[in-house]
Amino acid sequence: MNSEKFFQLIAIPSPINQIADQLGANDLPYRIPIHPNLVHFTIGLFAIGIAFDFAGAFYPLEKRIFRFLALPVTRTGFHDVGWYNVLACSVITFFTVAAGFYEMLLAVPLPGEIRTVIGQNAINTMIWHAIGGVALLLIIVVMTIWRGYQRFVWRKDFGREVTWLYLFCGATILLVMGVHGSLGAWLASEFGVHITADQLLAAGADLKESLP
Amino acid sequence: MLELLPPLNDKNLPWLDVIHPIVVHFVIAMALITVVFDLIGIITNKRNLFEVSFWNLVVATIAIFVAIIFGQIEAGLANPYGASRDILNYHSTIGWSLAGVLGLFTGWRYVVRQKDPTRLPAGFLVLDGVLATLVFCQVYLGDMLVWIYGLHTVPVVDAIRSGAVS
Repeated sequence: MNSEKFFQLIAIPSPINQIADQLGANDLPYRIPIHPNLVHFTIGLFAIGIAFDFAGAFYPLEKRIFRFLALPVTRTGFHDVGWYNVLACSVITFFTVAAGFYEMLLAVPLPGEIRTVIGQNAINTMIWHAIGGVALLLIIVVMTIWRGYQRFVWRKDFGREVTWLYLFCGATILLVMGVHGSLGAWLASEFGVHITADQLLAAGADLKESLP
Repeated sequence: MLELLPPLNDKNLPWLDVIHPIVVHFVIAMALITVVFDLIGIITNKRNLFEVSFWNLVVATIAIFVAIIFGQIEAGLANPYGASRDILNYHSTIGWSLAGVLGLFTGWRYVVRQKDPTRLPAGFLVLDGVLATLVFCQVYLGDMLVWIYGLHTVPVVDAIRSGAVS
């Protein structure tokens, strides 16, 4: 960065200061961030949806085991889980991304030369997590539409409701989601974003008094 | 014996990041979506949704035991301070109870499903309400440990090791 730009950025304070009096020590107007809670649904529903479509696809291999266990199982049942979980994931992920953007606008990462295990600083981690989040939302919606067409049109009369390509894409997306989720986790655990104790410590407060 | 254990990193963990909050994705999402699909299934009379919620309940029940294993290890390494000690105690108590509750619910659901998978006894909606309430309380307590007290985050671990926090 050239020095002129540096002094310009120092001279203009972050617009978050305009509402600083409405925010708590965690830089949010409420105690607990919302995005990390909605993320449970996005990850859980997508992962288990894909897993059950795998279970449906490999049903001919599994059915002996289920018979051995006397567990009544239907192939359509497995594929129903695959469809409805991914559908629910699509719906909730719009809110996950929306809450994420709101809370990122209010994010104040800890100062200092902090880097994640992959060498990124706070702003790069945030930018990648933001772009990745929008990309994943798009991908999840496209996967759901694809899944719906397979269920209701293309493979309506097939025992295996999904193509191998769909399953491969689903597994790949889960790997990407794992990396993406790690970026988000590091925003909290390394950069202290929206964590009351970390923000208080960075402000020089004594936790024995301010967080008894 | 202690030197056989892996060294702890700057989050006071023997592995890169906390694992418990990852495993609980599958307990929280699956338990609550069971409740949602049960309700939608009854309102819209879409009976195959009961099968969907049954399988999600099974996943939640398996996942909670994995969550407890990692939760106990990471709680043991968390060095809670101040009021977070009490919160961690409540979180552990509800966590173990939830494993029992989920196990019972899944068992009952299995028996009911064995007779007729397209029928859900109305009584199960009461259990759904109990389950959702327990999960919400448990999530709130866990959220407080992370987002207010910052257990296993680098600055808090740093402060604990330097003796600034206890």
